[in-house]
Amino acid sequence: MIDFSVYGEQTPHISGWRCQKCGTLYYPAPMVCRKCDSMRDPTTNKGWEEFDLEGPCTLLTWTRVWNLPEGFNKKFLLFGMVEFGNGLRASGRIEMEGDPAIGMKLTAKTIEADERPGKPVKVFVFS
Amino acid sequence: MAPRVGIVGIGHCRFGNSSDYDLVDVIAYSANAAFKDAGGLALRKEVDQVIVGNMASGLFNRETAVASALVSRMDMEPCPAELVENGPASGASAIKMGYMAIASGMADVVLVAAGEVMRAVTGWEATDIVATMAHKEAEYNMGLTLPGFAGMVTRLYMEKYGLTERDLALVAVKDHANGAKNIYSHVQLPVTIDAIADGPSAGVVNNYVAEPLRMYSTCPVTDGSAALILVNMDSPKAKLFKKKPVRIAGIGSATDTHVVHNREDPLVLKAVKISSDRAYKMAGIGPKDISFAELHDAFVIFELMNSEEVGFFERGTSFLAVRNHETDIGGRLPINPSGGLKAKGHPVGGTGVSQVFELVRQLRGEAEEGRQVKDPKYGMAVNFGGFGNNVITTILAKD
Amino acid sequence: MAIDELEKKLRPPEVQLAPYPSKVITLASGETMVVRECRREDVPALLGTVYPLIEVAKDYYDVVACRMYNEILSWYRYRIANMFTLVGSVNGEIAGIVTSRHVDSHLGMSLHTLTIKRGLRVGAQLFAAKMEHHLEFLKEDEVWIVAESPIGFKRWMIEYELEDRSSQYPAVRHELGGVPTFVLTRKLWDAVKAVKNTGTRPVPPEVLKTADKLKMPNEYVQLPGWKRNA
Repeated sequence: MIDFSVYGEQTPHISGWRCQKCGTLYYPAPMVCRKCDSMRDPTTNKGWEEFDLEGPCTLLTWTRVWNLPEGFNKKFLLFGMVEFGNGLRASGRIEMEGDPAIGMKLTAKTIEADERPGKPVKVFVFS
Repeated sequence: MAPRVGIVGIGHCRFGNSSDYDLVDVIAYSANAAFKDAGGLALRKEVDQVIVGNMASGLFNRETAVASALVSRMDMEPCPAELVENGPASGASAIKMGYMAIASGMADVVLVAAGEVMRAVTGWEATDIVATMAHKEAEYNMGLTLPGFAGMVTRLYMEKYGLTERDLALVAVKDHANGAKNIYSHVQLPVTIDAIADGPSAGVVNNYVAEPLRMYSTCPVTDGSAALILVNMDSPKAKLFKKKPVRIAGIGSATDTHVVHNREDPLVLKAVKISSDRAYKMAGIGPKDISFAELHDAFVIFELMNSEEVGFFERGTSFLAVRNHETDIGGRLPINPSGGLKAKGHPVGGTGVSQVFELVRQLRGEAEEGRQVKDPKYGMAVNFGGFGNNVITTILAKD
Repeated sequence: MAIDELEKKLRPPEVQLAPYPSKVITLASGETMVVRECRREDVPALLGTVYPLIEVAKDYYDVVACRMYNEILSWYRYRIANMFTLVGSVNGEIAGIVTSRHVDSHLGMSLHTLTIKRGLRVGAQLFAAKMEHHLEFLKEDEVWIVAESPIGFKRWMIEYELEDRSSQYPAVRHELGGVPTFVLTRKLWDAVKAVKNTGTRPVPPEVLKTADKLKMPNEYVQLPGWKRNA
């Protein structure tokens, strides 16, 4: 039977990963757990729990990039590195007016972006 | 006991824009120059192994199998030849592989040649191609580039240690003063602190690239190549070369997390520390023995951070040494006498060999007037692959 | 000079444009670049500077040089209305040239930007000076701009975040061949001028004097091996 749900509107999300054997959290996904050496098979993900990485986070550092690579037809973009409450960190874009500040509280969400050729990609936006 | 390995020939082209030339010809130009330096082009027939360093010819130039092409272009068949790719540290990795070939006993003479022709594409495309070495899902897809990471790390360093934008400009002024005297340098113009930091037009003339990094905190997009001839100093073949060997005293390399945000402290360049410790140990020396250094400064913050990780300065103090002119040519520990990546340029895959080319020139006493380090004994080169996640440190000695 | 009746008919109507006040910019090399408006007596040096670049295909120097040569010559011979030319010079030697045209009190028509001395953002400074003239001194509401090279597109369209009015063609149609028209409005200018436009006024007389008699470059990085009068 066809899974018709694949034709529905998909909400993009980026995943964090938990090793179910020892509980260690990861982003992005590893192929082996650094703590207990459990393997991750990307075809089944057996033994690993996938969860949405989003929501409140704290800004660790940021930059405003003026010389963007090919495909990004914008004057500049803000980028930042954040830490979530569970200790995981991520890098992504910041959307806000003015200058961000290190230590400020932000909220992470995921969008799809298509500046570069090929399939759209998932991008963190902190705002 | 492993044989002693020395460098008996060096070659380099003028860095800049070589986009009218084929990549293989650009690399072969420096290889020919290295043989000429060593005693003549007929010596290429003595080579047991060719190692080529290049990062991304497939993307920049739509050319692959560059090592095979080079051997054929230089009439060196059937000499074995391999390509080494380690991002912007491809050059230093090629030297390491050349060393290992001799140390293993498989070769007595190795040609190491490396280069990149990046300006075959636009600067924006080049930035994108270099960014492909970042983690695809967690970094590259976000739109992040190497300048972006360098900007974020520079901001952290400023917050923690009190570095200022003016301090970054002082590094650039020093590097450009050296690069202006280097005949191989891409940018042969000195810059002034008034023009890029203090004066009324500085904010526009020295525009932001990735805040707080500005144009003069960032290396240019450069084409170029360099080449070395390595020999087993204990083999009879060593006598074929007219130049006195400059000995490779130590090589160390190490890796760090691919994803920058997964480092416990993004201000710690662990791979630089470990690679330099390994190189010191092999050479049997310490930081105080180094006479001068070529440190990978694709962004000037790297020159500062590298100089701390290799043990020249305490963490968070290197910029004070720059303020005090300790790293100038006439200072206590000259850093980047070639002009560094900042002024000499950074043809990514070629940079590591270019750095060691400079070490040899300095140790032979052949650098141009005004940028020759006085009586150097040991020279060090640090070459980064990725954002400091695959680093090679090389130490040369004048025996 | 007496102008005959036919020549009078051929010449475009001219309005007296507000002058561009000269300024000086310290380039990264520490050299000072004087930016000033060109006069009729500058034309031989301007044309002589532009001419050799007509054969440089790289980075569209050929297109820009041909068109700029035509513009300066047409201005000299009174065949283009209300054009102005700004020149940047270092010790009197021409480092870059920009051309533009005042259409009416609302509109400026940006023509060309030619960088001679490369690597020091001379072109970027001169383009900003041209926009400054249109919006600050000629007090137009907006400037229409096109790019003829990828570098131009990135420098102007992206870095100034120009408004894309190409969909309004042919109502909005730049004079240069109908290529897509982008617009620098006053609002966009106000948002970027602090980071794009610089220069000090007044220019000290002894510095201004260095730019009084313009010199043609003897060599060009765009033309390796080429020497004037060789």
